Amino acid sequence: MGAFTNSRALASARHIADPQPTNARTEPVWIRATLIAITFAFLGVFILWPLLTVFHEGFSKGFGFYVETFKDPITIKSIELTLLTAAIAVPLNTVFGLAAAWALTRFKFRGRQLLIALIDLPLWVSPVIGGLIYILLFGRHGTIGPWLMDHNIQIVFALPGIVLATTFVTFPFVARSLIPLMEAQGHAEEEAALTLGANGWQVFFRITLPKVKWGLLYGIILCNARAMGEFGAVSVVSGHIRGKTNTMPLHIEILYNEYQFAAAFAVASLLSLLALITLFLKTYSESRTAQQLREAQELTIVSK
Amino acid sequence: MYPLLKKFSRLAFASVLAALSISTVSAKEITLLNVSYDPTRELYGEYNKAFAKYWKAKTGDTVTIEQSHGGSGKQARAVIDGLPADVVTLALAYDIDAIAVHELVPKDWQQKLPDQSTPYTSTIVLLVRKGNPKGIKDWDDLVKPGVAVITPNPKTSGGARWNYLAAWAYANKKFGGNEEKNKEFIKALFKNVPVLDTGARGATTTFVQHGLGDVFISWENEAFLAQKEFPGKFEIVTPSLSILAEPPVAVVEKNASKKGVTDVANEYLKYLYSAEGQDIAGKNFYRPRDQKVAAKYTNFKKLDLITINDPLFGGWQKAQKKHFADKALFDQLYVPSNN
Amino acid sequence: MGVQIRKITKTFNKFVALKNVNLDVQPGELLALLGPSGSGKTTLLRIVAGLEFADPGHGQILFHGEDVTYHSAYKRRAGFVFQHYALFQHMNIFENVAFGLRVRPRALRPTEDEIRDRVFTLLKRVQLDHLAKRFPSQLSGGQRQRIALARALAIEPRVLLLDEPFGALDAKVRKELRRWLRQFHEETHLTTLFVTHDQDEAFELADRVAILSEGNIQQIGCPKEIVQHPTNTFVHDFLGLDI
Repeated sequence: MGAFTNSRALASARHIADPQPTNARTEPVWIRATLIAITFAFLGVFILWPLLTVFHEGFSKGFGFYVETFKDPITIKSIELTLLTAAIAVPLNTVFGLAAAWALTRFKFRGRQLLIALIDLPLWVSPVIGGLIYILLFGRHGTIGPWLMDHNIQIVFALPGIVLATTFVTFPFVARSLIPLMEAQGHAEEEAALTLGANGWQVFFRITLPKVKWGLLYGIILCNARAMGEFGAVSVVSGHIRGKTNTMPLHIEILYNEYQFAAAFAVASLLSLLALITLFLKTYSESRTAQQLREAQELTIVSK
Repeated sequence: MYPLLKKFSRLAFASVLAALSISTVSAKEITLLNVSYDPTRELYGEYNKAFAKYWKAKTGDTVTIEQSHGGSGKQARAVIDGLPADVVTLALAYDIDAIAVHELVPKDWQQKLPDQSTPYTSTIVLLVRKGNPKGIKDWDDLVKPGVAVITPNPKTSGGARWNYLAAWAYANKKFGGNEEKNKEFIKALFKNVPVLDTGARGATTTFVQHGLGDVFISWENEAFLAQKEFPGKFEIVTPSLSILAEPPVAVVEKNASKKGVTDVANEYLKYLYSAEGQDIAGKNFYRPRDQKVAAKYTNFKKLDLITINDPLFGGWQKAQKKHFADKALFDQLYVPSNN
Repeated sequence: MGVQIRKITKTFNKFVALKNVNLDVQPGELLALLGPSGSGKTTLLRIVAGLEFADPGHGQILFHGEDVTYHSAYKRRAGFVFQHYALFQHMNIFENVAFGLRVRPRALRPTEDEIRDRVFTLLKRVQLDHLAKRFPSQLSGGQRQRIALARALAIEPRVLLLDEPFGALDAKVRKELRRWLRQFHEETHLTTLFVTHDQDEAFELADRVAILSEGNIQQIGCPKEIVQHPTNTFVHDFLGLDI
């Protein structure tokens, strides 16, 4: 039991348990090469090429025109709205995701599994439904609608509705990223911190949070990317009021419908740029999270 | 002498103040929300500027008009669900009637403005590619095999319903009132449709930008707009018979009165009937009601026109029930094509 | 400063882990809780620490007469050493040991210099001051446990609680640390309660041993006494004594 206290011993133990050398492969080289080539071709055609087309079309009327597109006040308003929506939805979901992950991994209670499944709900339903939910709740004929009308509160077809719909569809990302990580890390360190005199907040900020920081970042990045790019749910609750309730994705559709193709792709290229940055950040934080997860699991194997 | 001067200057000062406050009070900032259907973006873009200028000159108030565009039915639905429209300018009376059911618009809304509250009209024409390679001349050519027809979905698009009814009217005339033959005609036509977009503008993009289809059944104004945006690429074929499309307008009185803008909203719609309003409509390829203004626009061809209230259709309620309701004729006749 | 455990009962769902347990740990003594798996010894230790709580209304924990039954762990100042170290992976060794001092309320918090002194004194005591900048993942098992001990001692605990502290270590390291702990106890006489399933360890280290089985204390006494006079068959069989 005491033999596996360092990773070298662990590795050698694994080797003993599984004698098949892990470097040699049984497939011939040409199969490997073909598979790799197919993967690159797939990526190239379905991801790289459309992305390049977006930028190409966006610049098709010249760099000056590209810049002019972003000076249009309605376009600027749509960018502002997208940023504002993300700025509200992402922190909300971060706080919620942290709280949910913490409660679900630190307490055992009935219905825990059901709650974990429910958190995933926004990922299963069509985004359109995500928007319709709010119409059914807050629309003129909705559950709380009449009360809102009487008190002159506008939720759907205005900013609050857009934020709600966006929050709904991006709900699970932070929680899903944190739950397996916190589950694997266990709460021994948190208990140790308690015995050393740290109160709840100190445990959270000094122990819990730093341990999950890469997983948290990963979740936030995904949440943000989706929040900025969401179309379906927002389209249902937006009302499409020009210069007021059109986010970037909606605005791109409008530009496209007005035959302003170069402008539409110019704005789309901004979203694509965001996607690329997100991809880069995501890859980096993902590898760090995986590393933390591995370390936590190794520690668990060690303790068994 | 001095006490009199003092009194006078005090009076003068007070009246200047009063005058200033009156003018600041009356120089109001008003916002109206116009919820419209898809193809009117350019029309209202221009009209709103003109109206704002007119209103400022007339009353000194600054009026800003916010626009929302989308499929006519979808927009009506949104207004019913709480989109705070002050006026609606939609594709068919049926959609405004739906709003009236929820008492946002008075039941007699259509009589509030001249010409059944339709300040401009349009019709349905056929848009083909330059040179008309498939030789489209009339509705008959749309049911021939090998002709790809683009039209939006009548279940979701107001424009598409006008399309369908125009085709039906033509068939009815051709087959002398034989309803079975009409049904076959519609069936054959929709069999030639490769893609059913949800809205008029979407269908336009499909035909114009994506290059799909040989002929596009289009609002007349959309067809002209496509020609303007893409000169030399398209031709308009005016069919022998078409339907008079009457896209109506109304003030959403429940919302407007809550905001206290009913008067401005009424004037906003009334101004559409003015010389300037009619002129802007004509410039944006809508047929003005005012015959004097219409005479200026020679691009509108004369053609045989049937209206929705013709006994063949009997008004929107009947037409909706017979053709577009769930499991009604369109649902029965439409089989998604395998093209 | 002794620990008084009175009438502790603990139930998990339907399973009764501890049944009306009574135990007095004398001030300055090193008492071992010995028993097979499932006997409830770790549960009892965690209840003393404040990481678990007895069933409501079923028992008391007193630290030298002060009722701490409803005190949270962070209020009890009971140093705890975990079987798997529970060192803070994202902090270096220095910060691990300093942690308990850093989280003290502002009024009681030592200055940065004082913290430095305290930490290095402790590190020297466990002979690991040269590793202050390293991270836990870079240490061996034995080293990690020594740091865990230093960390627990940093807060000047009223009582020291160890949960099978050497269970995860090599036989050789285990022996060394046992010796170290005994010596440390001789020097400081810090009231210590530790859990083990290894009877050699219990008998070698402890002043007194409490043998547990199925949530009950079977016998308490100094090692010699237990060996010579086992009270029942369980104790007899568990310790493998001759008749």
